[in-house]
Amino acid sequence: MNPLLDQFLSEGRDFLQSIGERLLQLEEAPGDSALMNELFRLVHTLKGNSGLFDLPEMTRVLHAAEDLMDAVRDGRIPFDRPLADCLLEAMDFVATLIDEIAEAPGDAPPSTAHHASDALRLGETLRSLLQDRARSADGADPAEEEPPAPPERPEAGASDARPSALDPIDLPEPLRADLIRRLEAGGSFCWLRYEPEEECFFKGEDPVHQMLQLGDPLWCRLESREDWPPLAELDAYRCLLRFEAILDTTPERLAEHFRYVPDQVRFEPLSQEILTAATAAEGGPASTSDRAFSAEAEWSFDLVLEAQREILALSDTPPWLDGRLRAVAASLSAAFASVGRESEIEGLEPALQAAIETRSPTPLFAWLAARHPQPHAGRATAPDDDTGGGSDRIAAAPAPGEPTSISSSDPEESIRFGRRAEDQLTSPRTLKVDQVKIDRLMNLIGEMVVAKNALPYLAGRAEEVFGVRELAREIKAQYGVINRIAEEMQDAIMQVRMMPVSFVFQRFPRLVRDIAHKLGKEVRLVMEGESTEADKNIIEALADPLVHIVRNSLDHGLETPEARQAAGKPREGRLSILARQESDRVLIEIADDGSGIDPDRIRRKAYERGLIDEAELERLTDQEAINLVFAAGFSTAEQVSDLSGRGVGMDVVRNAIARVNGSIDLRSQVGRGTTLRLSLPLSMAVTNVMIVESAGQRFGVPMDAVAETVRVARSDIRTIKRRRTTMLRGRLIPLLALNDLLALDAEQIANDDDELAVLVVRVDQEYLGIVVDDCRETIDIILKPLAGFLGGLTGYAGSALLGDGSVLLVFNPRELI
Amino acid sequence: MALEFKKTTAVARDLLGVEDAETLLEWLIKHPRGRVNLSACTHLHASNLQVLMAARPKISAWPKDRALADWLRAALTQ
Repeated sequence: MNPLLDQFLSEGRDFLQSIGERLLQLEEAPGDSALMNELFRLVHTLKGNSGLFDLPEMTRVLHAAEDLMDAVRDGRIPFDRPLADCLLEAMDFVATLIDEIAEAPGDAPPSTAHHASDALRLGETLRSLLQDRARSADGADPAEEEPPAPPERPEAGASDARPSALDPIDLPEPLRADLIRRLEAGGSFCWLRYEPEEECFFKGEDPVHQMLQLGDPLWCRLESREDWPPLAELDAYRCLLRFEAILDTTPERLAEHFRYVPDQVRFEPLSQEILTAATAAEGGPASTSDRAFSAEAEWSFDLVLEAQREILALSDTPPWLDGRLRAVAASLSAAFASVGRESEIEGLEPALQAAIETRSPTPLFAWLAARHPQPHAGRATAPDDDTGGGSDRIAAAPAPGEPTSISSSDPEESIRFGRRAEDQLTSPRTLKVDQVKIDRLMNLIGEMVVAKNALPYLAGRAEEVFGVRELAREIKAQYGVINRIAEEMQDAIMQVRMMPVSFVFQRFPRLVRDIAHKLGKEVRLVMEGESTEADKNIIEALADPLVHIVRNSLDHGLETPEARQAAGKPREGRLSILARQESDRVLIEIADDGSGIDPDRIRRKAYERGLIDEAELERLTDQEAINLVFAAGFSTAEQVSDLSGRGVGMDVVRNAIARVNGSIDLRSQVGRGTTLRLSLPLSMAVTNVMIVESAGQRFGVPMDAVAETVRVARSDIRTIKRRRTTMLRGRLIPLLALNDLLALDAEQIANDDDELAVLVVRVDQEYLGIVVDDCRETIDIILKPLAGFLGGLTGYAGSALLGDGSVLLVFNPRELI
Repeated sequence: MALEFKKTTAVARDLLGVEDAETLLEWLIKHPRGRVNLSACTHLHASNLQVLMAARPKISAWPKDRALADWLRAALTQ
């Protein structure tokens, strides 16, 4: 099933649910116009959505419902019970269709043509309601108005479509004879009349084409419904044609063929009766079916009576005996009436009374025996051969009786159609869950991970403190199992939270089009990898920065068509947005082929704004200059436009990305274009941190910031301009003591060889050494942001619980320095 | 152009579309005795058919397509 249809079905169910609720609420408060508007909007949207698919039946009914609601909304007709009933029935019909489509295998929505007659009938009911009400609202006494008859059952609708006696077709005699002969030989033919509506040409229909597609007719007639006016007044675009044909086809195929215009066609299978009826004017179909039921009906009648007999033969006396007796009496009365023996029912009522009074079935038994002696063995059902299982028989008995009572061609259809919302058969496959619940689940799993991490500590204690090595090993084995399950759980919940980046991307085509239009630029947007997935929080955090970047590209990056042509580039600029997954990160690349960023201009601007001094102006490499666009308060735009140039620019973008542990990389070549590469974690839930020790405390450092850990001999540390530095593989690394950064009043402790532990972190492509007392293991933690008063401490990314119950503060190297 | 007008005959070729009905009607009003040649016509839109039914011009040649010709004969000769 394609995703669009899937979404339509799941949304459709939601809509129907809401529509149902609103309708019920409206019954309580018919005057509530806000509610009515809401209802109208829901139906309108659902109708619009259904139009995306090839579902004319659904659209037709919804369209009629929409018209009706529109009239109610405008106050042209009042809202009341019968109207609500009709609308509810229409919605049940739509629900039936939706269920059917959802259950169908395959990709494309199945044809729902077999519901065409129901759709037609419902549509007409709704429309007639609209007209009746409108008239009665205009006219005198609405009290006289009878509530509209409840819509007929579908089987009635089907037989209603029977053309009124097929107005004796004056078929040529040889053809008639031929048809009768071929019908006898088992052929199937249909008579069809198609009267396209007058405006059909304006809807792009071509009735001739429709008819030609049906293949060669055995007989055809084409005439006008009215006399043609004089040529000068003829309106060629008002369709007045009437097509009639006899075709070698089935009604199902015709229904399918004309499914968009079911109200304009009538067809029915040809039978010998119809053909002969045309000759023998008065011999209606009634004569043919006169005694047709007798054999079958008699058999069913016997079965019903037999079942009643069995019920009466039950010897127990349950508290519901009265009800059982009444039921038997009702069944008997109905059975006798159905075979035309109404006169015999008279004695039944006294027998029933007597039976109830005596609390015994005997009087009824006697009555039945008098009217219908026990049939002998050898009838349709041999009663002797089944000794037990009376209830089975009762359940099975009525089934063959169906043809007499229901004339519908498809009884299953009517059963399904009649169902209401409360006996929903299929449950939807997708769940909509409040995000809070998912978050709670994730928090719980987080705690589980923490609790799980306590097991190795326990194992350690078992061995070291209590000296039970055996137990320690068993705890570790158990830990392995729990660890695996916890990881799988974590993975599963991550999957739930995953969203495709298309959630953000989908707004770009429109955005790019509008902005390009406003700026008079020609832009082609290329998007790839929309299905790449990442955690919901990440995706949401991405939305605003991406919009900003795209705007920047359009505003500053891409040139006007004229400028592009002058530069020897195609008039149309190209903006590409690509997303892909690389190990545990999502990469998003936004590239344009515009003018690029001129480093000299950036240098000058930055200098003018006082962001850099003269020395830096000389020293900055081009790449460093380009990165200046990320500096706070930087803007190159000469003018503040409504698109960009307010100075809240790329620094905001960078911070937003950094907040979700992402990084941003900007490359640009003058005249060739600019590429921005965002790298984001797939998920924020679990953070891998390295534990370091300093001044007797433990701290965490996010692993993605850690480049390496080294031991540096104190003698290798040089002080340059009062800052400590060291050479590491030919690179000069500035060193900062963690105790100084955190204002802890202690010296960093060196190891026995007088070497200091240095954590080399990478901040914005620059390396920096942080001197700590010791580096420890790395662990996975659930990072909780600091909240409340501590929330203002930007130096820390958050805190986490460790397996031994202590709290670990995780610092944020970028902010700390 | 699907419709070509000779002196007394309108010749229809390929597909007579919905727009052609107007042209055909105008021509038939101006040429009440004009004939219509449909031999090269593969399909005609129902609006054209209406014009022909209302004007009843003499059809000098029926379409070669048998199914189409059958329908047209049913409409125009009865």
